[in-house]
Amino acid sequence: MCSFFKIASTSNSYNNVLKSLRYNIIYIKKFSTHNLYQKKWEAIIGLEIHAQINSKKKLFSKSSTSFNEPVNTNVSVIDAAFPGTIPRINSKCVQLTVATSLALNGNVQPVSFFDRKHYFYPDLPAGYQITQHYAPISLGGKITLSPLDGLDYETDVKIKQIQIEQDTGKSIHDIKPGIALIDLNRSGTGLMEIVTEPDIRTSKEAGLTVRKLQTLLRTLGSSNGNMEEGSLRCDVNVSVHEVGTPFGTRCEIKNLNSIKFLMSAIDVEIERQIAELEKGHSIMQETRGYDVAANQTFRLRTKETLTDYRYMPEPDIPSLIITKDYLKRIHNKLPELPDDRKKRLMNQYNISLRDVTSLMHEDGGVEYFEEIAKNRNPHHVVNLIIHDLYGLLNTNNIKFNHNPVTTQQLGSIIDSIKMGDITAKVGRKILTLMVMGDNRLSSDIIQEKGWKQLTNTDELEIICKDILSRNPKQVQQYKQGNKNLFSWFVGQVMRETKSSANPKLVNDILTKYLN
Amino acid sequence: MTIIEATNLLRQKKISTVSLVKECLARISKYDAKINAFIEVQNEKELLDKAQEIDAKGSFNGSLDGIPVAYKDLFCTSSLSTTCGSYMLKKFKSPFNATVVNSLEEAGAIMIGKTNMDEFGMGAANVYSVHGPVYNPQSILFNGNHFGKNNDQRVAGGSSGGSAAAVASGMCFAALGSDTGGSVRLPASYCGIVGFKPSYGQCSRWGLIAYANSLDTVGILTRTVGDAQMIYDVISKFDMNDSTSITPEVRSINSSVPSFFKLNSNTDDLRGLRVGVPKEYFVSELGEPIINLWKKGISYLRSHGATIVSVSCPNTRHALSAYYILAPSEASSNLSRFDGVRYGYRSEESNKNDDLLYANTREEFGKEVKKRIILGTYALTAGSYGSYFLQAQKIRRMVKLDFDRVFKRPNPLHFTKKDSKCNENKVDVLITPVTISTAPKIEDCLTNNTSNINNFINTYVNDVLVVPASLAGIPAISIPFGVSSIDGFPIGLQLIAQYGDDDTLLGVAKVLEKGANEK
Repeated sequence: MCSFFKIASTSNSYNNVLKSLRYNIIYIKKFSTHNLYQKKWEAIIGLEIHAQINSKKKLFSKSSTSFNEPVNTNVSVIDAAFPGTIPRINSKCVQLTVATSLALNGNVQPVSFFDRKHYFYPDLPAGYQITQHYAPISLGGKITLSPLDGLDYETDVKIKQIQIEQDTGKSIHDIKPGIALIDLNRSGTGLMEIVTEPDIRTSKEAGLTVRKLQTLLRTLGSSNGNMEEGSLRCDVNVSVHEVGTPFGTRCEIKNLNSIKFLMSAIDVEIERQIAELEKGHSIMQETRGYDVAANQTFRLRTKETLTDYRYMPEPDIPSLIITKDYLKRIHNKLPELPDDRKKRLMNQYNISLRDVTSLMHEDGGVEYFEEIAKNRNPHHVVNLIIHDLYGLLNTNNIKFNHNPVTTQQLGSIIDSIKMGDITAKVGRKILTLMVMGDNRLSSDIIQEKGWKQLTNTDELEIICKDILSRNPKQVQQYKQGNKNLFSWFVGQVMRETKSSANPKLVNDILTKYLN
Repeated sequence: MTIIEATNLLRQKKISTVSLVKECLARISKYDAKINAFIEVQNEKELLDKAQEIDAKGSFNGSLDGIPVAYKDLFCTSSLSTTCGSYMLKKFKSPFNATVVNSLEEAGAIMIGKTNMDEFGMGAANVYSVHGPVYNPQSILFNGNHFGKNNDQRVAGGSSGGSAAAVASGMCFAALGSDTGGSVRLPASYCGIVGFKPSYGQCSRWGLIAYANSLDTVGILTRTVGDAQMIYDVISKFDMNDSTSITPEVRSINSSVPSFFKLNSNTDDLRGLRVGVPKEYFVSELGEPIINLWKKGISYLRSHGATIVSVSCPNTRHALSAYYILAPSEASSNLSRFDGVRYGYRSEESNKNDDLLYANTREEFGKEVKKRIILGTYALTAGSYGSYFLQAQKIRRMVKLDFDRVFKRPNPLHFTKKDSKCNENKVDVLITPVTISTAPKIEDCLTNNTSNINNFINTYVNDVLVVPASLAGIPAISIPFGVSSIDGFPIGLQLIAQYGDDDTLLGVAKVLEKGANEK
């Protein structure tokens, strides 16, 4: 198949979004919306979250899912909607969606089916998207936000439904003017669409809901949940009303690709709607975009121009039948869920909520920590991971899931410090080497570099006495009251021992001989 | 010559594959300029090379070794183009073969070519093809021998008209067609051959370009029921690539239920067989010669011991209108992939307006296809979905229940162990006409001749007898049963059986076809 599908440029609105993103300065104004509407106004917010299902194969074909691979390399005749092809559901995608539903306390439906949602767009090869409109796989469920998540109070965000659907390809409009290029690598990738009830009241709650869901999806392994890479995408519905009056008309803001932008978009949209209403205007139901540069939402299309998607049951895919046995099997295989895990880690290791949250923020962080913390002081372990390892990975632009330092390696550093072989400072030096790719254990590195601390008191006494006898002038000055010279003596010893002397022992010995 | 005869002669080395292929090619070159059955014929040299190869091997182990077959031009083939009779796919070459094409090839069949059809399967007369209409071989081959006058040009029937005409005129031994709402049974009846539509899901649809997925079935066109059975035995199997293919589990449940012709295979003795005559099929449009042959068929079966009972399928009269909502709805959806971006025809002009995206390209669909796209699009819009599409689905379910009520055998798709027993008071098969008349004249079927609104509606009414079995997904077969006493053109009779009971259907059909020659 040819690698680029050329088609004429089509979507003006889409081009505008792209243009607006091209402004260089990204400046987010701080809003005081929270105070503004708390007095009189209330915002009603609901989320529609699309999470790419973490499956090696696509939803309806055997081609691989991919990110950042050469264009149109993972495309089968099904993904390109060739005539005569028939989709076949990937059971892995169903399994991961069911697990997600169970983790969110959703009701997995014994029978659900697929529908076609029709619209013409170059990155939608069949002219329709296969989704679950009439009978989604899961109804109900909730996400509870609490102080564990960083909220001052507790609140439930109910889940309306979860549906399985296919992702579209990508249109690329700005490489060749007037021509849209199509990459179908993403076409047919499995998505879970998670729709919340309008239970959210503030941008903070919305941000925390997405963050919490991200953590949950990563824990389950059902999605990478990465907003920057587009494996998690967010649309938000916002309306405002005066407290005590019926809900207002809602606007949908599309394609928000970070939690930060999601929160800012909600804040400015609330402000816009309140301002409109206070001017005596009414709110039109419409779909809006978010201009990051201007920190404004803007109209994409109004209700009058909404597409009629002509939903039709997908005749090529039989209904999904989920048996009780199947549910039970998935339920038994569910990993420890984030809230339970948070509580357990805090109790079991006596570490702070902040540390736990940091560990959980990285995929595999908790497992990494727990492996090392077996038989070691958990505080030392968590400190070395969060304060040193995370920082070093970050400066070297390495994602945690590509962390080159094994649990044995990191554990060996802690052990070396505990045995007194090295100081914490040398420990960090060793960790730096490991992050750069040194795959030896701490002891081997110490030996090769000669970084082992001198802890032999006799040997240190000889060195200290030698230094003192070689510098009678300074000894005299010290004894006459220039106490600052003490650290100079320490420095001399350190230089002599190439920093390998145990600083505490050097202190003790020098004190003994000088006083 | 039938496939069975040819296979025997091949095995006895009395004839060669080369001679069979040459005979088919000779007939194509002699008649096809007038019949127009083929859209593309395989390269002669390649065909003969392949035939020689098979002859040289000489073993004829495959059940269809050396048998020339043809495919309706909606079966994907990687060696010949697949056009669906449409300008939209004029030079389209599929990157893969349909599963049924592979199955037949593995059994040793030789593809002679791809046959003409109504564009995307939409039509009952095979006049809506970008390659031109198919002419009924009866009016070409036997012109003068028939009661018909010269220039009495009849249609072959659609939408698998090319396949039917090719088999009827000896250009191949068997052809695959597709049956969405009678598209194999109608042309079989008009051309005087056997047209078999197996139960939905028996034969893989992978590589069959969809008209209406929930109705489309692979259809078999042959000169005898025995030949149809040979083809069916090769292509009826589970296929992973077709999500609607009957699963091995359901196939095994199905074969655990006794059916008449598994117990009495290859016999003319029909004692114990109960044949239903559904009274709703006695429609007012039925012509006198058809009614006479229907009666003759019924008495023939009775004379072989079958018990004849009158049955009722009350929802039959709603079937046609439900069909003309459901099929175009699915079609409007299926055809939206033809945008010219990845394959097929693409207009040089383009419209950058979002609402008119691909309009220039999609303009090239034929008139009938456009009509059905518009109809289907309308039925699926938010405002009419509930009052059209959903109602039609309800009717479809009622039509299915009608059949479930008259057949002895429970429907294997939704029976539980509790009711898996047969109800002996009910029937094994139904016998009905296939068409209301013999093949219509070409000029009556061309809709640019819309001055006569009755012609226009008649082209749809023709489907009234064949559509119910399609809606129910149950097997049905058209068997040639004589010619019209008025115009001499062939007439077929239809047998219909319960879902999954294809064996009984073929068994009774084998007996019935012998009755065609009796006075």
